[in-house]
Amino acid sequence: MYQIDLRKKAFEDVFRKEQPSVVVHLAFIRHCRAAPEVRHEVNVLGTKRVMEFCQKHGVKQFVILSSHYVYGALPENPYFLDEDAPLNASRTYPEIRDLVESDALATGFLWKYPEIHSVVIRPVNILGYYVHSAIGTYLKIRRVPTMIGFDPMMQFIHEEDVTEAIAIAIEKRIRGVFNVVGPGAVPLGVAIHETGGKTLPMPEPLARFAIGQAFKYGLYPFPPGAIDFIKYPCTLDGSRFVKETGFSPLFGLREIFASVTR
Amino acid sequence: MSRARKTRGGRSRAQPAGRPPKPSGWRARLTPAVIRRVEAEIADRLAKVPNRLNEYGYDPWGLDLEVLKRSMIPSVLAYRYWFRVKTTGIENLPAGRALVVGNHAGQVAIDGMMVGTAMILEADPPRIARGMGEYWLPTIPWFNVFMHRVGGVVGTPKNCVDLLHNEEAVMVFPEGVRGMNKLFWQRYQLQRFGLGFMRLAIETRSPVVPVAVVGSEEQAIAIANLMPIARLLNMPAFPITPTWPLLGPLGAIPMPVRYHIQFGKPMVFDGDPDDEDEAIQRKVDQVKHAISTMIADQRSRRKNIFF
Repeated sequence: MYQIDLRKKAFEDVFRKEQPSVVVHLAFIRHCRAAPEVRHEVNVLGTKRVMEFCQKHGVKQFVILSSHYVYGALPENPYFLDEDAPLNASRTYPEIRDLVESDALATGFLWKYPEIHSVVIRPVNILGYYVHSAIGTYLKIRRVPTMIGFDPMMQFIHEEDVTEAIAIAIEKRIRGVFNVVGPGAVPLGVAIHETGGKTLPMPEPLARFAIGQAFKYGLYPFPPGAIDFIKYPCTLDGSRFVKETGFSPLFGLREIFASVTR
Repeated sequence: MSRARKTRGGRSRAQPAGRPPKPSGWRARLTPAVIRRVEAEIADRLAKVPNRLNEYGYDPWGLDLEVLKRSMIPSVLAYRYWFRVKTTGIENLPAGRALVVGNHAGQVAIDGMMVGTAMILEADPPRIARGMGEYWLPTIPWFNVFMHRVGGVVGTPKNCVDLLHNEEAVMVFPEGVRGMNKLFWQRYQLQRFGLGFMRLAIETRSPVVPVAVVGSEEQAIAIANLMPIARLLNMPAFPITPTWPLLGPLGAIPMPVRYHIQFGKPMVFDGDPDDEDEAIQRKVDQVKHAISTMIADQRSRRKNIFF
């Protein structure tokens, strides 16, 4: 077990020493509390280095955990965004531009080195006991801020099902970009209620200002760009992954919500 | 005295067998019987709709039968008692996927509401019409939630294809605002049809069911459309009718014309969904012809706008 900064030189040494045949890249800074330059460096440069070393040291399979956020939440989004949909996140949520860039880098890597079985996995909102996801942080806030008059459909998946999806992707030696979808979608209000939270409905103009200020002073974990994700849908079509691997989530919606502890 | 005899649920004695239980509570007692009847009928019809809801009662596009049940009460009352809709040809609505294509009129999309209500009340099995909305509708607070809970979605091609693959009945008005906001002297003249629906029908091999709606043109007699004011208020149109804006908000209520809705025989189109516009236009013209024939037929038989 190594604990190394993947921007440092020592990182490549791990590849030389261990000669891995499969690499699973989960090392992203996903919260917005880090300085944006550091976050961008770790996420984009880090991903680039990981892939470079994979290619250099003969790695056979490479799996990268992207996110459904890369599609962006827009009012005209169809409800079953498939893998060919444009990655529009940066249009209104510039802070996660680095996630879009690393996803694009990985997709490019996929096509450039077909001998390496690369898989880009875009899961929906991950919830679970252990995982520190953005949606988990959001739902665990005591009074969850929501926009008055908006209640978008959201899909959820349990952390163990994501692990299973990664394992299956490796086992079946697939390559490509895949949306990984959980058991179904519910409106945000239902998710908040089922995880034991209470909503704090805010009118939008006030909310954008308040959240912007709170984020600036470190009182709130999300920038105002994230507001679009609690207004508009960003739901995915996971049929390509199911067709290729036969994946089926084990944890239903009730179990997923039950696993969120405050 | 009689109060002492009532049980906690408000029921004082067992109901005779075969009759629905009398509802309890003050809210139910204040509800007029006609509304309770309509509620029961709606619940009964919606229970028969073939759909796939998850364990929380939602489908992937946000449909919620509980919200639909409540929102249908005013539609059914309007259907039965205001517009007194006469629906014919409902047996032409196939089971499984279908594109319901109708003529659009009336300044407000009440024709869509009435066609959708007809499909729930009179079709066998009852179908929930999935309406295709404009791209900016999800930006409106509250309305965006309501629109999805009653089955509407944004009118993107991907949404339409996914709904059809899910064997839903998608309702489209290819004239769009051209038809809805036309002036009174253009009534019943079909405006230009968008070609998109035909490409999707061919791609998904869905039958196109033409629907003629007669009556919607006379519900709001538009004598002018003030576009500058519409643009100022960010609305698609600003019609002037004899009652609106003269009588204020009351003037926006549509006139109690009688609606005649006729469903035509389903038309199946095959070919290349990526064909040139001219080839698609020829197929669309067949649908337009079917609709205009039904409109002419209904109008000739109509003796009076209101009765």
